[in-house]
Amino acid sequence: MLHKSFIRRQITRSGRQALVFVLCVTLSIVTIVALDGFGSSVNEAVLKDAKSLNGGDIIVHSHQPLSPGLSRALRSWEDQESLRSVRTYGFYTVVRVPGEDRSLLATLKVVEPGYPLYGSVELQSGRRFEDVLVQGKIVVERSLLDRLSVRMGDAIHVGSATLTISDVVTREPDRPVSLFSFGPRVFVSSQDLEALDLIRKGSRIQYDALLKVHDPDNLERIAQDLRDHALQGQERVETYRTARSRIKRFFDNFLFFLTLISIFTLLLAGIGIQSVLAAFLKEKERTVAIMKTLGATSRFVAVQFVTVLGVLGLLGTLAGLALGALLQAWLPGLFRGLIPSSVQPSLSWRMAIDGFILGILVVVLFTYLPLDDLKQLKPVAIFRSESARARRGWRAALTILAVMLAFLGLIVRRSLHDFEIGMWFVLGVAAFILAAALMAQAVLWALKRARIRSLTFRQALRGLFRPRNATRAIMITLTASLSIIFSITLVEKNIDASFVQSFPPDTPNVFFLDIQPAQLQEFKEALGRPAEYYPVVRGSISRIAGEDVDVEVERRSRGDNLAREFNLTYRDHLLGDESLVEGASLFRPDWEGLQVSVLDTVLDMRPVEVGDMIAFKIQGVPMEARVSSIRARRGELIQPFFYFVFQELALRDAPQTIFTALRVDSGEISALQNRMVKRFPNVSVIDVTQAVSTLTGVMVKLSGITRFFTVFSVLAGILIIISSVLATRHARIQEAVYFKILGARNGFVLKVFTLENVLLGLVSALLALGFSQTATWLISSRLFDIPFRPFLLSSLSMLMATVSLVTLVGLISSWSILRQKPAAFLREQTEE
Amino acid sequence: MNILEATHLTKTYTIGDREIDVLKDVSLAVPEGEFLVVQGNSGSGKTTLLSILSGLDKPTQGRVFIEGRDITDLGEDEIAPLRNEIIGFVFQSFHLVPSLTVLENVMFPAELRRDPLAGDKARALLERVGMQDRLLSFPHQLSGGEKQRAALCRALVNAPRIIFADEPTGNLDSTNGKAILELLLGLREEHGTTLILVTHSGQIARMADRTILLRDGTINGESPHAP
Repeated sequence: MLHKSFIRRQITRSGRQALVFVLCVTLSIVTIVALDGFGSSVNEAVLKDAKSLNGGDIIVHSHQPLSPGLSRALRSWEDQESLRSVRTYGFYTVVRVPGEDRSLLATLKVVEPGYPLYGSVELQSGRRFEDVLVQGKIVVERSLLDRLSVRMGDAIHVGSATLTISDVVTREPDRPVSLFSFGPRVFVSSQDLEALDLIRKGSRIQYDALLKVHDPDNLERIAQDLRDHALQGQERVETYRTARSRIKRFFDNFLFFLTLISIFTLLLAGIGIQSVLAAFLKEKERTVAIMKTLGATSRFVAVQFVTVLGVLGLLGTLAGLALGALLQAWLPGLFRGLIPSSVQPSLSWRMAIDGFILGILVVVLFTYLPLDDLKQLKPVAIFRSESARARRGWRAALTILAVMLAFLGLIVRRSLHDFEIGMWFVLGVAAFILAAALMAQAVLWALKRARIRSLTFRQALRGLFRPRNATRAIMITLTASLSIIFSITLVEKNIDASFVQSFPPDTPNVFFLDIQPAQLQEFKEALGRPAEYYPVVRGSISRIAGEDVDVEVERRSRGDNLAREFNLTYRDHLLGDESLVEGASLFRPDWEGLQVSVLDTVLDMRPVEVGDMIAFKIQGVPMEARVSSIRARRGELIQPFFYFVFQELALRDAPQTIFTALRVDSGEISALQNRMVKRFPNVSVIDVTQAVSTLTGVMVKLSGITRFFTVFSVLAGILIIISSVLATRHARIQEAVYFKILGARNGFVLKVFTLENVLLGLVSALLALGFSQTATWLISSRLFDIPFRPFLLSSLSMLMATVSLVTLVGLISSWSILRQKPAAFLREQTEE
Repeated sequence: MNILEATHLTKTYTIGDREIDVLKDVSLAVPEGEFLVVQGNSGSGKTTLLSILSGLDKPTQGRVFIEGRDITDLGEDEIAPLRNEIIGFVFQSFHLVPSLTVLENVMFPAELRRDPLAGDKARALLERVGMQDRLLSFPHQLSGGEKQRAALCRALVNAPRIIFADEPTGNLDSTNGKAILELLLGLREEHGTTLILVTHSGQIARMADRTILLRDGTINGESPHAP
């Protein structure tokens, strides 16, 4: 039976607690709802523009000129007039200003007439791309003009050709964002390809054939035929429906990561829900005890409060949906530069229903325990202030735990398509929250036993242990959420200091790629300084340790995968930063046949042991080698390394290029680059410091977005602070009044309450700093192999900011308590 | 000399749209060292009178003087030192700070005035009332009698000139009630403290120097008792 007026009054009489509960529910789902909708919008946009984003109906990718078999198949379809194709060639090269020492790494795209097949390349002048990009002319990105100080109509050297800048590109259909590019775009007509003289054997070039199929019904048939003729591991045939562009892959991964953070927020908001609810229901204990004394059954009580929480949960869920939709509308702005500009937020019934179900799941998951506690309450509570709850048996506890895990699993399943990683993440987060809880508990244990002389400080400390104070919940939530934010900031600063502010000493900062074997001697002489030269042969793996490489499965991997092309090399010695972890020597003198030494990183993708066989395809030629040793490297981020090293005789005659990496004083880089490119136009020079700075720009953007989403978990902490103040409102007023009755001034009470919040913020921030400094040290030393710096000043700023925030929130929530008149409170007490 | 004087006190509360006169033109004077009992039925205005006399509440009309000083219009911070040094309170509901130990509760008023001997004084008083073994206990770990003994020590730690006691034995059984009263009177005797006590008990009233009877917010009678 529902007692409507009772239910209404329970909500209105604890209005503030109810509001915080609603806000916690809202917070728990808002980011997931927004990201879910946003992800759908991106997918829709990508699907809608899939043909132009991928460049055609069918796309053939290769790092080698198309194999004769595939070329023939392609020509045959063209001859039948089933399709039209254009070829494009993408690569990095250094362009130079004639007669001057100005040069720049650029991202070249050589295109045949007819490009693009879908969409259009928009130019600053408004002219048609095909009219502008003719022989002898180039179209460039605005930043090239700025960085080389050249203007439209000027000529620049591209490879061995001198070409005139004829326009500025403002939008490319198959390159929706340029954030990840290491150099500005330069469009060159395919008629100039030969004059560039940049395509040599083994050069690092992306050969693409973009196809427009005349009859859509033929699409799959043609694609399958081309796949059948493609060299596996070297040539990839995709349709616009199946292709996952780099941007899409990146976005999927980043969205996955943000959804993980949202689940983290959900868990913290869940702690908030439980904390608020415990306080809310504690206030109702007396009412429940009275109801039970008058004969109400546990079921009757449960029904009333389930309805109360159902109403509040519903309000929270609806608010979460509304705010999620609002946030979703704002996300394209936040992600600007990372996603195609055509992405528009869209609302759907599916999103609303999904969000609604999620909200209900969250409410059920996090309200079950406090509600069950209330059900267990005995009528004797009417006489006693201490808890009169029945104790749970271990079976009941296990059942509850299993139910909670199942619900959590459902939520993870719903939000993340990769359930296994999601569950590992949830378990990891649970372990981290447990660690934060243990640390908070240890600190509280120590604080409780501290003997403090100062009266104000002592009272503040005592306040932390006030009955019903959610001190521990606040500390856990703030510690966990701030740890993430602090860690992001500190890692970012460490990387910035190591790579951007000061590039690590003894680390190569200039890479020369695509040196042809015939140029090697002349190159060495021109360079005029000692350097190690690494031959590079490109190849793929078809079978490893007895298992075939499944291209589809491998490509779904979030990390590195075995389906890509690898840079293979040959030598007979270990590099300076390498050591053997298995095998006595790089190669076994007692073994017959081909041998390969494998870097231990490969083991992360597939377990391999010494003696296992690996089948490679090098330029289409199959080759099987036996694993002779497994190497490890010290992990210098920017030192050259190779996953697979062969004996010289195995690869010496394969098509190859050579690269070298060396350390050059920053002031000399530009002159060296100009000198070498002038003499060897086909050689790409990469100034790593500039590349790192580009990457840092991307990283700053990504960490900004991550921080934005983590702030929602801090909000969970703030809500718990507010709920804690509300839950202990009576106790706080009591303290304030008693202090005043005993002769304390308002200033004293204010100082005690302020100091209590300062302590709360300080302990949480110090614990978070401890966690984040440890995490940053681990990430810096183990992952990036850069020196760890604690950034004490920044740490102090973050500490101060946290303390200020917590104190401010705590004091604002307590303001009306501080103004309470003693007589009024005492009168209420007496009346009770 | 009167340590406390009140003239024409009126107190009106507004509850909803109703105005209730709790005190109506009450005047009284309390000589230093007197033991005054205020009696009356529930709702007669006893506790309100005590709150106004002790400066915890403001009268709607009238004035209150302590040691000749008009405290009626003093602000919270101005009246705080008065509560700390001149006045002591004992309540029916004890009103011990739940988050502080017994010793800390008793020390608190002395610590507020930065008394370096706060700890010693508190310990001595608690020993005097037989609570030397409960110094580190929290209020919720005490019985009603123990709570009131702790509250009594807290009221006395700064050796106040006036003690206001609102039904100090109201929440105690007769044995504990009697013990508390004996302690209160004994300590008052020792320090020559003025005691203003609100009670329903005729037995306690008979021990007072003077009793005033409140009815419907006015003094309805006064009966001096010989010391």
